[in-house]
Amino acid sequence: MTRDYHAIAAIVDDAARFANAIPQLSLNGNDLDLQEAYRVQAASIARRYQRGEVPTGIKMGFTSRAKQVQMGLSDMIWGRLTDAMRVEDGGEIRLQDYVHPRVEPEIAFLLKKPLTGKVTVLEAMAAVEAIAPAIEIIDSRYEGFKFNLPDVVADNTSSSSYVVGAWHSPTIDFSNLGMSLEVNGIPVQIGSSAAILNHPARALAAASRLIGEEGMSMEAGWILMAGGATAAHALKAGDDVRLQVEQMGLVGFSVASA
Amino acid sequence: MSELSAQKIEEVAQALRQAGETREPCAPFQADLPGFTVQDAYAVQELNTAHGLASGRRLAGRKIGLTSRSVQQQMGVHQPDFGMLFADMAFCDGEPVPASRLMQPRIEGEIAFVLGKALDREQLTLPDVISAIDYALPSIEIVDSRIADWKIGIFDTIADNASSGLYVLGTRPVRLSALDLTLCGMVVESRGEPLSTGAGIACLGNPLHAALWLARKMVEVGRPLAAGDTILSGALGPMVPATAGEVYEVRINGLGSVRAAIEA
Repeated sequence: MTRDYHAIAAIVDDAARFANAIPQLSLNGNDLDLQEAYRVQAASIARRYQRGEVPTGIKMGFTSRAKQVQMGLSDMIWGRLTDAMRVEDGGEIRLQDYVHPRVEPEIAFLLKKPLTGKVTVLEAMAAVEAIAPAIEIIDSRYEGFKFNLPDVVADNTSSSSYVVGAWHSPTIDFSNLGMSLEVNGIPVQIGSSAAILNHPARALAAASRLIGEEGMSMEAGWILMAGGATAAHALKAGDDVRLQVEQMGLVGFSVASA
Repeated sequence: MSELSAQKIEEVAQALRQAGETREPCAPFQADLPGFTVQDAYAVQELNTAHGLASGRRLAGRKIGLTSRSVQQQMGVHQPDFGMLFADMAFCDGEPVPASRLMQPRIEGEIAFVLGKALDREQLTLPDVISAIDYALPSIEIVDSRIADWKIGIFDTIADNASSGLYVLGTRPVRLSALDLTLCGMVVESRGEPLSTGAGIACLGNPLHAALWLARKMVEVGRPLAAGDTILSGALGPMVPATAGEVYEVRINGLGSVRAAIEA
């Protein structure tokens, strides 16, 4: 069946751009397979590029084995980051720019060299300039945050915004750093970077493989968000959000009062 | 104030003891004991502690339970609980743990503190506790329940020695000053899969807070902590059901790792 991927891309792109909840594509006549879903994602991001946004990196999803099992998946998924999704450390967001945003504690990698294709973890790390504590603001555009796998991939893997803290040397052992996601001073999610495939560097190698399969490359200067280390936490107006990561300090932002 | 008769407390203590000896879990008590108090539950525990000591068991330390806010909310309480650690409950890193010593085991990654000094004075403060701790060790608590299917209420778990089972200690002592006890990462893994993750902050904000609570409580109930005692300070992440034949490894950043090998 031939589909109009650009028309479908316009649906998810408009939903993200205007913060409108939409019905799941799969329940609305667009029951995509995974490959088609990535085509829709690429077409929706192309619309962002046409509006002047530039690519800044890649985000990984489902990097915890428990989440893969829960979703009945055998692999990770990925999405694209642009400069318009960047929120400064210490910055402020407005709820009306999102549908139903949630935050996840993550580790971010900054690349100093291009990276693509099947690589070992050591080869992947050789392309890393620095690592940082990071918060991803995910926001499914689907009603009720409900979706199947192609739905979420088409919707750029729920990617919405990201906040990156101070960069650190990638030579520290970051396989098991404690992480405390705090809202208004109270820890709401506590975990460890070990939840990300037992070592976040494995998410980087996986990203390289998956991006390579699409004939793409991660570029020098790009960021890789390695995936959530805990369950996501829903945001409210007025929330002050911060993430503490062992040996790496703080990153945070606030949500404007209603 | 106690609401239960001495006879009822003795009955519950005996039923728990028997469940432990026969490895046949008993039904929960809480639903059938309206008006019980936390003091009643500790009175049950104390009877079995006295019974253990009288039969020659040596007290080696204490465990602290209910140290995470989510578990406290689940149980409807606002403070942790404690149980007794006897020397016969301790295993070495990687030593096979006989399945015959367990009923419905679950694995928790914890920080163990070993005391160099007694904490036996009134009105203890945090520096008293810090000064008394000689070193920390990584530890695995194999929690277990004498209550069928873990269907426990707060009374059941306190009466049942805070659902303690066995424990495994690592071997490399680390001084407190070398540790970030608030943010140290913790992972429980088996066959390379992370099964549970957490950090020090999950234990009452810092495992030392739990240790201070315990030290004060032990003075209050008349069994103060002694030099050489081991404190299992509380889980740093969700507990994991243990399967016979599996090896569970707990890694705590800054403290190293420790393994529990459950025999098939």
